[in-house]
Amino acid sequence: MTDPSALTAEAIAAIGKARTATELERVEVEYLGRKSGRVSKLLEGIGALNPEERAALGKAVNEAKRTIEEALSARRSQLEASRLADLAETEAIDVTFPGPPLERGHIHVLTQVRRQIETILESLGYQVELGPEVETEWFNFEALNITAGHPAREMWDSFYFSPELLLRAHTSPVQIHAMLRIKEPPIYIITPGRCYRRDAPEATRLPYFSQVEGLAVDRGLTFGDLKGTLLYMIQSLYGRERRVRVRPSFFPFTEPSFEFDVSCGICGGMGCKSCRHKGWLEVGGCGMVHPQVLRNGGIDPTQWNGYAWGFGIERMAMLKHDVDDMRLFYESDLRFLEQF
Amino acid sequence: MRISYEWLGDFLDLEGVTPKDAADVLTRLGVEVESLTMVDLSQIVIGKVLEQKPHPKSRNPLWIHQVDLGDHVQQIIAGAPNAVPGSLVPVALPGTTVPNGKVVKDMNIAGFKASGMLCSADELMLGEDHSGILILDRGKPGDPLTSIIPSQAIMEAEVTSNRPDCMGHLGVARELAAGLDRPMKRDFMPAFTGTADPPGRDLVKVTIDDPDLCSRYIGGVVKGVRVGPSPDWMQRRLRACGVRPINNIVDITNYVLFEYAQPLHAFDLARLSGPAIHVRRAREKEKLLSLDGVVRDLTPDMLVIADALRPVAIAGVIGGEETAVTTATTDILLESANFSGPSVRQTSRALGLRTEASARFERALPPELALAGARRAASLIAELAGGTVHREWADIYPRPQQPVRVNLRPALIDDVLGTHVPLEEAESILKRLNFHVKVMGDGEWDVLPPVFRLDVTIPEDLVEEVGRVYGYDRVPATLPGRRHERWTPATPSLDRRLDAVRDVLAGAGFTETWNPALVSGRKLEALRIAAHAMRVSNPLSDDMDTLRTSLLPSLIEAMALNRDRGRPDIRIHEIAEAYLARVGEHNSAQPEEPLRLAAVASAGETADEGRDAVYRLKAVLDGCIAAMTAPPCIYDRASTELFHPGRCAAVMLDGRQLGYIGELHPTVAAGAGIDGRVVAFEIDVEPVVAASRIPRAQPLPRFPGVQRDLAAIVEDTVAAGVLHAAIKELAGDLLEHVHAFDEYRGAQVPEGHKSIAFTLTFRSPERTLTDAEVDKVMAEIKLGLEKRHRARFRE
Ligand SMILES: [Zn+2]
Repeated sequence: MTDPSALTAEAIAAIGKARTATELERVEVEYLGRKSGRVSKLLEGIGALNPEERAALGKAVNEAKRTIEEALSARRSQLEASRLADLAETEAIDVTFPGPPLERGHIHVLTQVRRQIETILESLGYQVELGPEVETEWFNFEALNITAGHPAREMWDSFYFSPELLLRAHTSPVQIHAMLRIKEPPIYIITPGRCYRRDAPEATRLPYFSQVEGLAVDRGLTFGDLKGTLLYMIQSLYGRERRVRVRPSFFPFTEPSFEFDVSCGICGGMGCKSCRHKGWLEVGGCGMVHPQVLRNGGIDPTQWNGYAWGFGIERMAMLKHDVDDMRLFYESDLRFLEQF
Repeated sequence: MRISYEWLGDFLDLEGVTPKDAADVLTRLGVEVESLTMVDLSQIVIGKVLEQKPHPKSRNPLWIHQVDLGDHVQQIIAGAPNAVPGSLVPVALPGTTVPNGKVVKDMNIAGFKASGMLCSADELMLGEDHSGILILDRGKPGDPLTSIIPSQAIMEAEVTSNRPDCMGHLGVARELAAGLDRPMKRDFMPAFTGTADPPGRDLVKVTIDDPDLCSRYIGGVVKGVRVGPSPDWMQRRLRACGVRPINNIVDITNYVLFEYAQPLHAFDLARLSGPAIHVRRAREKEKLLSLDGVVRDLTPDMLVIADALRPVAIAGVIGGEETAVTTATTDILLESANFSGPSVRQTSRALGLRTEASARFERALPPELALAGARRAASLIAELAGGTVHREWADIYPRPQQPVRVNLRPALIDDVLGTHVPLEEAESILKRLNFHVKVMGDGEWDVLPPVFRLDVTIPEDLVEEVGRVYGYDRVPATLPGRRHERWTPATPSLDRRLDAVRDVLAGAGFTETWNPALVSGRKLEALRIAAHAMRVSNPLSDDMDTLRTSLLPSLIEAMALNRDRGRPDIRIHEIAEAYLARVGEHNSAQPEEPLRLAAVASAGETADEGRDAVYRLKAVLDGCIAAMTAPPCIYDRASTELFHPGRCAAVMLDGRQLGYIGELHPTVAAGAGIDGRVVAFEIDVEPVVAASRIPRAQPLPRFPGVQRDLAAIVEDTVAAGVLHAAIKELAGDLLEHVHAFDEYRGAQVPEGHKSIAFTLTFRSPERTLTDAEVDKVMAEIKLGLEKRHRARFRE
């Protein structure tokens, strides 16, 4: 029969030798296993002892159990501490190894820019209005004061289906539809959508493109309001250091009419190669709505006035992302689309 | 249009105004200067050729010149032979850079020293001529060239279509003078008139058939002219405008065109039959040999100038060769007329010929300009070509220009601009632009625009005149202030609502594309989806002559393109309109323009891969519909163009068909050059948006659910959707969710049968379900499926 204190010493020695949690577990089972553990086995034959001996043995065995358990627990903490201390070596991975590519789709850059523009103008209280792309002559031209034979018609060479029906050359017809529908100002709308002009495709213009136009009709609107609106839009899109220049121009549907430019983001307006030494980059056209256009929209120009502006979404995207060829937007080449 | 800075100096004092300053002022006023080319002549000196002899040794012909440069004589070698002794020539000395960028160095050519260069017009950027040395008509040896030719600055400007007056230097100078607040040196209407007898109108009879097409025709007679070269300064200015000098008479007509914007034409009077001028429409089969040497077929919708016998010019576009001024000409008929803009544009387009004249008439010139131009040209002819100008020209003017007065309430200026412009300043601006302003008793202004400004007709036009000279940059930027009792609540745009779909698709690996709506009608026909196609009557090319009726062909082409560029696995989508002509009303009524969502994805090679890809794509579409918070759609077996006959489903939402999903027909993929399988869907999105509901929160379950699997073996013809519906019906209230997760054929499943495995989730809102309860429901389901669909079950 083994002596409890000798067994305890033996167990403690074994515990000290255990190098891992698994080894330690094995030691625990060997000594403290419920039935076949060596400590339990000390009690075999206890029935043959007298009460005093029995009590003494019981006490000694319990003492041994407690001592071994304490040693186990201490050793366990010790082993866990050293495992944690060694993690940097034992479980190191090569963090420079790349993750597998995430198969993420991309939202088209023109959608992204359109989204930004809509959000910016919605924050000023403008609402999106949509209209048909196949338009009538009247909405596309006449209603906008572009009468037949007007020299400015050259600017909108169009695709026709019949003498009366054509692909809209701008989203301006939507302004007329909106005025006729809403009837009573205030009207604050933007009209994003696809447009078509009969121009052969090249790097800076396409027969199909997308515009956003804006229209405000209210009492007492001024050119200053138009300028402020453009500045708010441009700065929101390109940054607050950007400036807007408004130059006189001509459109039949606005009077006065303007083109608006944004200061070059590279040189800040001093002139550089990127802006062809002009300091300014052309963005779009704008003006105070011509009284005849208001009348064509069913609005009394003696009571209300308005301003309007328009630009190409592609142009905005080209300026924002340094795209130098407009055709890329419509070619669906993933190598391009995945850059945004 | 090209503007010569030097020329502008004829009309106003440009002291202290650099070409760059002038360009900036003009741009600010609305004449947008796109580029400015500076030609610095200050380093070039005048030399006189004393001696010229051929180079004795050079293989190419070269000439050795001794050139007097005032204080010394220099030896210069040139390749052109025209600098004969006595010629005055421009000389670039070693070390200087000539305007075209060439750097001049000391050289030794086959034993002869050459110091400097004799310059051609081309090298000095004074014209395109590089055939010989530029010979000067005056100047003192040793003086800078700028003593006779000022340094040049050429602006390329964009003139808006409402301002034909700015298609000439006089008009541009007037703008500049107004912008700089400097006086004009010259009046619009020259005082010059002819004096010779008899009256010009007795020498040539002028008739106009249609005053709508020709509102004025002035025919001036000048006799005894000497045709020869025009003076240097005129040739230089014409070259600056991009025109080749021809002879003094033709050059003068061109010069006045670039000065006044009034096109003119000079006929050789002796070669005009009659002599008479008949402004009429061309007759059938008439032809004209035009000045550019082309025989032009004329049609009755073209306006011509005819003499007593035949057309001699195409009105407002180009003159005829047979009546042109030549060196033999002595008497001329000077035409200064006004032709209708639309008519000239139509003729110019029909002929494919756009000239400096047609470009101006197209913009609707004021008829009053014709007289000013005629007088200016006649005075130049008298001065530079001699001849006697006859008095009282023929001036047929059936539609005299009516003055338009505009009433302006001056407060409108401030109201429209949004800033205060002092009245005196506004009035001064209008006067500088040659408007007459009369202040009326009630404070309103009665404004008479100058005769050359037909574009000003309403008060807002006057506001623009004031605004652009006052300076739009001086107007503070503001945002509109609103004090309304009415407004429209914000509603997200359709496109922004669809961003939820774009996000789902992006997460599923689909990249968005924007494809042109104009496609090839022939291709739509080949795909048999052209029945509702709208055809453009004037397409640019036949690969974009038709509006697409479906987004899928564009996406398939985009997929093919990307495969060609080395992408095997492609997932792309598009959100855009399709265009469907209304039945029986092709090209006469506006089509329907349903907004569509379409996607295509590569689907491997094998039939199994294709099937799995269809199921994956269904999950993507379900995700899109769910993202729109619309109820789930249902898929019914269907067949349609473009899709595989056995692998196509109609997408149904609330009993309405949205479109189709499935595998593309193998011939469709192959037709686009794609060798693998392709899965696709295309649906109308507006019904989905309309079905969108705000999600309402449901209480979280309080009791645990019980999950059971069920594998039903049925005949191949029994659809999973049918079993799914049957299970839901048979299970009753305790079934929370059922979902098919596996389709199996093979071992343990008889031929012609399949096994479909479902996961069922049972739950009660009131208690924890017991196994016995669920077993009972499961048994009922099995019994029902057995009876209805002859199902058997695998364990
Ligand atoms: Zn720049």
